[in-house]
Amino acid sequence: MVKELVDMSTRERIHAIRDLPMSFEEKKSIRSQVLAFKSANQSPHFTGFRDFTENASVTLRRWGYSVRSARQTLQLWQGTMKEIGGRFGTSVLTYFMFLKWLLVFNVVSFLINFGFITIPLLVHDHTPNLPPNVNFRGLEILTGAGYFNYTVMYYGSYSNETLVGLGEYNLQLAYFFTISLYMVLCGVALIFSMAKSFKENYVLSDPASSSAWQILCSWDFSIVNERAITQRKNNLSVQLKESLSEGAQTEMLTRSEKMKHFGIHLGSWLLSTSLAFGCGSGIYFLCQTTDDSSWTPLQEAETLLVPFVVSLMNLVVPLFYSLFNKFEVYSNQRKQIYVLLVRNVILKISILSILCYYWMQVVAKKFSCWESMVGQALYRLVLFDFLFLMLGSFFGEFLRKWLLPNLGVPEFDVARNVFELIYAQTLVWIGIYFSPLLPVIQILKCFIFFYVKKVSLAQNCQPPRRTGRAAQMQTILIALLFFPSFVGALSIVAYTAWSLTPSKQCGPFRGLNNTFGAVGIWIDNLQQSSSSYWVIWIYHHVIRSEVFYFFLALIVIIIIYIFWQVTQGRKQLIVQLRQQIVN
Amino acid sequence: MGNKQSIFTAQQLDAYQDCTYFTRKEILRLFYRYRDLAPQLVPLDYTRPDVKLPYELIGSMPELKDNPFRQRIAEVFSEDGQGNMTLDDFLDMFSVLSEMAPRDLKAYYAFKIYADFNNDDFICKSDLEKTLNKLTRNELTEDEVRMVCEKVIDEADLDNDGRLSLEDFQHMIVRAPEFLSTFHIRI
Repeated sequence: MVKELVDMSTRERIHAIRDLPMSFEEKKSIRSQVLAFKSANQSPHFTGFRDFTENASVTLRRWGYSVRSARQTLQLWQGTMKEIGGRFGTSVLTYFMFLKWLLVFNVVSFLINFGFITIPLLVHDHTPNLPPNVNFRGLEILTGAGYFNYTVMYYGSYSNETLVGLGEYNLQLAYFFTISLYMVLCGVALIFSMAKSFKENYVLSDPASSSAWQILCSWDFSIVNERAITQRKNNLSVQLKESLSEGAQTEMLTRSEKMKHFGIHLGSWLLSTSLAFGCGSGIYFLCQTTDDSSWTPLQEAETLLVPFVVSLMNLVVPLFYSLFNKFEVYSNQRKQIYVLLVRNVILKISILSILCYYWMQVVAKKFSCWESMVGQALYRLVLFDFLFLMLGSFFGEFLRKWLLPNLGVPEFDVARNVFELIYAQTLVWIGIYFSPLLPVIQILKCFIFFYVKKVSLAQNCQPPRRTGRAAQMQTILIALLFFPSFVGALSIVAYTAWSLTPSKQCGPFRGLNNTFGAVGIWIDNLQQSSSSYWVIWIYHHVIRSEVFYFFLALIVIIIIYIFWQVTQGRKQLIVQLRQQIVN
Repeated sequence: MGNKQSIFTAQQLDAYQDCTYFTRKEILRLFYRYRDLAPQLVPLDYTRPDVKLPYELIGSMPELKDNPFRQRIAEVFSEDGQGNMTLDDFLDMFSVLSEMAPRDLKAYYAFKIYADFNNDDFICKSDLEKTLNKLTRNELTEDEVRMVCEKVIDEADLDNDGRLSLEDFQHMIVRAPEFLSTFHIRI
């Protein structure tokens, strides 16, 4: 083995030594043997150069280690995570880790937008051009209109000029390219994390219900709180007893019982979908009636009605869904959770699509500076979502403990909380085109939420009773973040950029037929100045030609088909090998 | 930060960093945790690398105090098999139990922790019974314990020899991706 280790490169050798299942003493002796072997076998030629490279690689490795150490000092909330994991286990910790990831994500998006779009504008001209007698009243924080309408918060205040300062900075192009780059980066980051999650966590068979898994793989070593451990032990005994008694019975449902169950399922699905569509149409009518652009304070307060109702629906209707769930009978618990999740997704999709339809079709044609209006509406939605989540946490967890103690201590519902975070992030993604600084609110939200949920968890909740397939749940939730959330937001922004006419008086794309026209103008300018031929060539022959996309799609489909066949072949191989082991 | 620590030489730190999954900062922090268990036994500059802390001190750490497997963990990672750990064993233990250790390494040590109450490199029924009793605080009756153990052997034994080998265990771990996050102690 020493010989194999000598032949590897330094990095591989370190990885191989670390992965050896031996005691530390043995690893150290192997390592010193390998190093001695390497130094003894060096040829006498070029010793100076070799010493130099050796020293350089050692220094480089040490420098890499110190970079890792430094990165660790920047880790936020390490101690709190350890505490939470110690008391509630790993599945609850996934919520907080997701919250932290979302916070970092939004900080990066804020920095991108602020750096490339807002700072040049602020440097060039940092006073907002307010019309007379508009000054800051308190109501702006809630409505987002009024004074805020003229600041860099919204699309409307960005100019379409080329700023001349230290150099030329085309704000129109910068806006377009920054938003597209941001969307592309988000998509890439999400695809990678989803692929990684699928690779590690998604397993086709389900051993979670087997006793072997429960005893040998499911004990959470990171729980250190004595009460939590006692509780886990009790839960495990209960589950084992249940599984023993389940094995003894065999349930045969009669035909009439099956029909009854089917009827109940059908009824609940119909009821929940009609509830979702009812909410959507209600929102649409409400939008149409509160549709004035006059600026009296009363009518400004009326604009708060729509987000209020939306957040109220988002809070109340899922409770109805959980109620329906209690009447239904499911064969296993995971199906129950997934059905609940699907219904909630349908509700949120219908509400968001109605709102987007209203904004794209009605607001865009009616108002002069419609992008800022859409931005304001999104700001109000995000804000009210935050307020209602806080209220929901307060009523759901705190008050329930004080006023209704006989309902039992609530469990921390990871799926529902993560879903709410995904919804909030969808709103931010839709709004990034209309209000580039919306990630700021999301950052504040994540930050405050961490502490609120931490306190609520500590005071009020107990660890989840069923130690289920946390990893698979995490995969499903990340997949949920991508479809339909990001794809939906991306398609809305793309539709806006491609088909809708930007407003004529405000914003960086004023006067153009559509947003993408900015790129067209730039290409024309480049052609006239007759430089960078390759950019022009790429634009005309790649981006604007349909044949290119057709061929790209064809190639992707062929690659997917090949990989799929390879997977099928491997599955068959596994079956054959398993047969061989048994025989 | 800088290189101004006087506990380890640079070569020793290199060896630690190469053989465990910890960074320099974590190694120093772990050294201080180790020392805090018995300040009078452990010198401040690692001149006596053969100092062994008895199992009672290791088992009293807050991370291990209530863990039902703490004794087996200490026995598996200690050199003498009794749970008395040197600093090297201590670092090794937390390195394998950290989140950066790969699945196969964790599976190997988890197998040794659950098995080998009778030192035969297999998980047999008596090992399973002992593990089950540790996990359920003796709440199951004898019959129930026996039935559960039989069920486990049925489900996980691939080569049908009545006991679980390391390969059977690894096969089960491959299909349980949460194992990586549950077999993890934060320090």
